[in-house]
Amino acid sequence: MSLIDTDIHERVSYEQLLPYLEQPWRRYITDCHWMQEKHMPYTQPAVAGVNRADAQVPDGRPAGSDLGFMQEQLLDSHGHEHGILTGALDPSPSSMHGWYEMATALASAYNDWQIEHWLEKDSRLYGSVHIAAQDPAAAVQEIERVGDHPKMVQILLPIDDILWGDPFYHPIYEAAEKHQLMIGMHHNEPPLYYGKWPKYFIEWHTLIPTSHMNQVTNMIFSGVFEKFPNLKLMMIEGGFTYVPFLMRKMDQQYTDLRHEVPWVKQMPSDTIRNHLCFTTQPLEELKKWEFMQIIEQMGSDQIISFSTDYPHWDYDNPERALPPRLDEDLKKKLFSENARQFYPKLR
Amino acid sequence: MEKVVAHTDDLAPGEMMEAEFDGRPVVICRASDGEFHAFTNICPHQGAPLSKGKLCGAPEATDQIGTYNYKNEGNILRCPWHGREFNIKDHGRMLANERQKLREYKLSVEELSVADGNIIMYK
Repeated sequence: MSLIDTDIHERVSYEQLLPYLEQPWRRYITDCHWMQEKHMPYTQPAVAGVNRADAQVPDGRPAGSDLGFMQEQLLDSHGHEHGILTGALDPSPSSMHGWYEMATALASAYNDWQIEHWLEKDSRLYGSVHIAAQDPAAAVQEIERVGDHPKMVQILLPIDDILWGDPFYHPIYEAAEKHQLMIGMHHNEPPLYYGKWPKYFIEWHTLIPTSHMNQVTNMIFSGVFEKFPNLKLMMIEGGFTYVPFLMRKMDQQYTDLRHEVPWVKQMPSDTIRNHLCFTTQPLEELKKWEFMQIIEQMGSDQIISFSTDYPHWDYDNPERALPPRLDEDLKKKLFSENARQFYPKLR
Repeated sequence: MEKVVAHTDDLAPGEMMEAEFDGRPVVICRASDGEFHAFTNICPHQGAPLSKGKLCGAPEATDQIGTYNYKNEGNILRCPWHGREFNIKDHGRMLANERQKLREYKLSVEELSVADGNIIMYK
């Protein structure tokens, strides 16, 4: 069965970005040892940290850093038709809490590296435009620069501590529409607990979907989808089992409190069905009837799209992650057709 | 059916290796006490190759909140993907859910002088 994998993490080393950086940015890496800021107090406690233990490149390089090994372990072995690259959030320019000029330079360098070493090396791979969204004007310039690349399908926004629905960021969505790019949101390091960190990684990882709910709620009640009717949003790596709850809660709240957000004209659940899509990973172990119940409650089987999250530790295996004996027509939608409908450049 | 799948010299305590038995992938583990155990090499969750994981220890269950008693070094097989823990000294039982076990295979170690040290799987 054809597979469009909507979340694959390729990894760059800072050294690999050097040829794509002008001075003075290059020397901040070579001489001053710039590193992406990190906030979490714990490591991902799987066998090999954040990655599948068997995904490390045989020569010792980190998982996700070698196209040939990714082809062998993922794209060829599962027969991918397409894969959407979403980066490894290191660097994550839009996550930086300062020095937006450096963030902008890193985003451009990353896009050039991604295009040269991945998108133009494997016809199956499509990419995400990295930007420094804290500086919308610079972000728009970068979208203008690479957004028309035929294999760039979305603009990547990390989920940290910025809610992206604010009008300050709307120039990014205007540029997205102009270039037939969708928005892909993927969590980076959202603190989750009232702006702080929970005590344990297991708490943080359990509640990642709440950070996605924050963004969906904020984008919809900020009126983003009324203002940009062609814009679509892929919520990546938060799963989808929270969606039925959020649809009902938002509809109820909108029914009572519409007066506060009069620029919102559609029922939120309709906006979700018309503008959003959710990648499946990390899948809970659902029985078929549980899975089908969630789809029924969402009122659509066209807003979830399979993703592996390769090479991360909570990877979902295309052959084993979904409940057995799903209807073939539904599987076709989940594995490829919903993603194809979502991303115009895949059609 | 019997098959020599490994030799005792192949594995030190706390190490494991993949093998094949009756057309199926298996993982041969050597526990900290030197004993050998064999299980399916396919994680029952999502099919990860268990031999690519780690034989390590794990904090045992405790009533003392905030206390970590790291035990069973070399006897806990952790899946290379999602990190699920299986106790190879307890028939591959999963630590988080004792109702789930890995499929275990029978093993014997030959002690005849001619084939000393061969690890034989049989069913």
